[in-house]
Amino acid sequence: MKRFQAAALAATLLAVAAPASAQAPIRIGLVLPYSAGPFVAIANEITDSMALALEETGYMVAGRKIELVREDTAHKPDVAQAKAKKLVFEDKVDMLVGPVASAELTALFDFAHQAKVPLVIPNAGDNEVTGEKCSPWVLRTSFSNDQIVRDMGRWMAAKGFKKVALLAFDYKAGHQLMGGFKKPFVEAGGTIVTEQYPPFGRLSDFGPWLGRIRDAKPDAIFSFFAGPPATLLVQQFQEFGLDREMKLTGAGWLVSPLNLPSQGKAAAGVIGALNYVPAIDNPVNKSYQERFQAKFKRVGSEFGAQGYDTAKLIHAALAQAGGKTDDKAGLVKAMHAVKIEGTRGPLRIDPKTNNVVQDIYVFETEMQGDAVGYKVLDRIRDVQDPPNGCTLGG
Amino acid sequence: MNPPASGSRHAAALVLLAVALGYWLVSGYYGKEILAEIAITAILAMSLSLLVGQAGLVSLGHAAFFGIGAYGMAGFAAKLGWPPALAMAAAVAVGAAAALLVGLVAVRLAGVFFIMITLAVGEMVHAWFLKDRAFGGVGGMSGVPRLDLSAVGLDAADPAVFALLAVAAALLVYVLLDRLVLSPFGQTLRAIHQNEERTRALGCPVGRYKLAAFVVAGAVAALAGTLAAQRSAFVSPELMTWTLSGEILIVVIVGGGASLLGVATAAALWVALRDQLSSLTDHWMLAMGILFVVLVLVAGDGIDGALRGLWRRVARQRGR
Amino acid sequence: MIIQLLNGMQLAMLLFLLSVGLSVVFGLMRFVNLAHGTLFMLGAFVGLSTAEATGSFWLALVAGTLASAVVGGLLYLGLLRRLQAESPLKQVLVTFGLIFIGLEAARMIWGDYAARLPGPAMLAGSSEVFGVVYPTYRLFVIAVGLVVAAVLYFGLERTRIGAIVRAGVDDRTMTAALGIDIGRVFFAVFVLGCGLAGLAGVVAGPVLSVYAGMDMGVLILALVVVVIGGPGSLKGAFVGAVLVGMVETFGQVWLPEVAGMLLYGLMAAVLALRPQGLLPAGPRP
Repeated sequence: MKRFQAAALAATLLAVAAPASAQAPIRIGLVLPYSAGPFVAIANEITDSMALALEETGYMVAGRKIELVREDTAHKPDVAQAKAKKLVFEDKVDMLVGPVASAELTALFDFAHQAKVPLVIPNAGDNEVTGEKCSPWVLRTSFSNDQIVRDMGRWMAAKGFKKVALLAFDYKAGHQLMGGFKKPFVEAGGTIVTEQYPPFGRLSDFGPWLGRIRDAKPDAIFSFFAGPPATLLVQQFQEFGLDREMKLTGAGWLVSPLNLPSQGKAAAGVIGALNYVPAIDNPVNKSYQERFQAKFKRVGSEFGAQGYDTAKLIHAALAQAGGKTDDKAGLVKAMHAVKIEGTRGPLRIDPKTNNVVQDIYVFETEMQGDAVGYKVLDRIRDVQDPPNGCTLGG
Repeated sequence: MNPPASGSRHAAALVLLAVALGYWLVSGYYGKEILAEIAITAILAMSLSLLVGQAGLVSLGHAAFFGIGAYGMAGFAAKLGWPPALAMAAAVAVGAAAALLVGLVAVRLAGVFFIMITLAVGEMVHAWFLKDRAFGGVGGMSGVPRLDLSAVGLDAADPAVFALLAVAAALLVYVLLDRLVLSPFGQTLRAIHQNEERTRALGCPVGRYKLAAFVVAGAVAALAGTLAAQRSAFVSPELMTWTLSGEILIVVIVGGGASLLGVATAAALWVALRDQLSSLTDHWMLAMGILFVVLVLVAGDGIDGALRGLWRRVARQRGR
Repeated sequence: MIIQLLNGMQLAMLLFLLSVGLSVVFGLMRFVNLAHGTLFMLGAFVGLSTAEATGSFWLALVAGTLASAVVGGLLYLGLLRRLQAESPLKQVLVTFGLIFIGLEAARMIWGDYAARLPGPAMLAGSSEVFGVVYPTYRLFVIAVGLVVAAVLYFGLERTRIGAIVRAGVDDRTMTAALGIDIGRVFFAVFVLGCGLAGLAGVVAGPVLSVYAGMDMGVLILALVVVVIGGPGSLKGAFVGAVLVGMVETFGQVWLPEVAGMLLYGLMAAVLALRPQGLLPAGPRP
């Protein structure tokens, strides 16, 4: 088990400065894939940004210290679950934060629900988790898949995109994001000319799929990819000359700050929808980016921003609960009660679904000097999921 | 190659069991989770030991049968709602049937080609469940129930009870495989391993013996899979990656290949070490990788050899 | 259709570069090197660092190839040589362990973030071939594969060293009995194969992203190529690579439902029917 040196140091300094508190520290367990799999970078981004947020508070709330306790899932669902149990029953953490991938979430969800431990999801987006499957103990500070793309359907129809091709991996998240876009887009008068779902996993080439899309002659592609496949798509879209015939759009992870270094100039001109872009103009985000960039020498991504906001929201809730963590139901209630200004604008947790209510940004990438940067085109405020079968609201 | 005398073997098995039970008594909640994982890994490794250590069939796709057992459990118990005990039996049967199908083709090949075809089949099964929608594809599926032990007044949802159940299953598998290894069947497998041509020339249907070993190993691996699915109430394609097959193979080799107890001990050490290391450093795989290489290079008799040496010393002292 | 063919060919040539070394080493010594993919990744990363430092793709190409050849040679001398006498099992397991060491080393040196190796400026953009617009760099990938295949073919069929290698694949004991130091030949072939894997890594850099773990997917594909084509045979590696490239490309388009399983099914079928592969090395008429 690793605790943050910084946490310990800050806590020690404060303990010396403030009247000694006999109370045990509040412990937050992080269950993230630190050692293996495709999401190591995301896990670190979340953790580093949570630490940034807690540093601002001196790792203190209502006279109690806060400790982050991290455990590695090695990108394996059963390990994630075992580590969560360890954190709760051995390390006595007061709440859990994790994971990144949906398979790990499925494994963690049941445990948190049965053990009645608050689980705060900092990234995974499966609709059902805050929909038909929702639990009073599982809260989400990141997004639901539907939340990211729902308004983008209307937005694109309104902006004159009549014919759109859909492109995503053939798995649950891919279908959720495409379906979430398609319904409002078609209702607003748009037409889906083709839907392409390459097999999930090792994709070496978008060539075949882009060929089919070209034949369907859309105005735009709406896509969902992240990580190396996103880089591949952005490059190949340009290489095959599709940029002269149509627009590349999608859920904004396509051109995440994590991908830009590998995408190069090919990333310019992509339109995305997401709950965060580094270019958001508010004081919290500006300070976050300044501090993150000073420390890590790169732009903080949406994953980092989610981590930062998650820590802020948890801190606010702990303050609201007066630093009392024994009453876990009270803790969840406090999470529902608080409202914060995050990097993404105002944030709160909807008690009816336990999903976050947040602003969604439509942005475009463009050349800014020598590098690709972001320009916010539109901001859709207070995007709230309908209950989608969740009965928490009664 | 020949198993040690039954007296010392049984004594060693009892020592191992005593250690497991002792750990069960003193360990906390998480320790019992780890104990269950050790027992499940030991079952999986012992099943592969029958193939590798006895029959000389090196499979790099054994995780496929583990996964088939787990998904079988999820399918029968969670999807079809069968009683967990029946679902377990059915999943083991499916594992055996799958092994029969694969074995019919695979056992005709030898050496590297056998390694390759098991790898290919393992990847095929993995690709199937990655794509499959009924079981949630990449995301996997939760809600796998545990055995109903209320008839004997126990609740398998209690991690202490489940850990005991897993240890008991490992013990049962050990006893059965141990008898199988000592039986004429096991002797024939070793004879085939040592000299296949000669055994065939003596009129032994070599292919059928290999196939039978493959089926038994597949069924036992599937049993381990049903327990793994119950342990985390969850199945996903991660259960059957080829790297897991490789890791189990290393556990078998480090354990001494043919020795069931050595293999079970290696499984315990491997799970415990990985757990400890992964809490210490994010680069634990580096340490495990180096350990793999060193152990495989120096593993003569593996842990089995070390245990036997220890036993001889203990026996000598007792004799004094 | 033409575009798909070119796509398939481009993947095929990458796979050929990657698997030809694996195949000949396998045929010559029955040696399975699971860490071959790791050398592919090493080539890509060294190429990336070189390109970042010098701005030259061509220097990256040289550096990546050399790095993989040197590391491969050191691995052989320090570790793998002593495994030759051992069972294939130990070779598989030791090189399996090397995969994890390589992965972690790459993470420690180059981090967890994917990066792109930019292609040479002169190959940017698209060209028109057979009436279709196609990325120039991908044509270059196909050309590299074909040139390497031609050079290897010439070297193997027309030179003395090639004759020794062929003889070694056919009958190792006999070749050794003729007074030829088969160990040195093997070493040379091994190092060349590793260098080609590094070359494949750099060439793949501008097409795929460069990241720790990029070796895992291609390793299995390379094994499929070796098995299908027939271990030890240059022609086999070429035909196997083309077959895998085409099945992978067209399978995803025409049979997306089973595309993921198609290759492994093909591999299993070839193993079941022709364990020596489609074009095995061996005594020629």
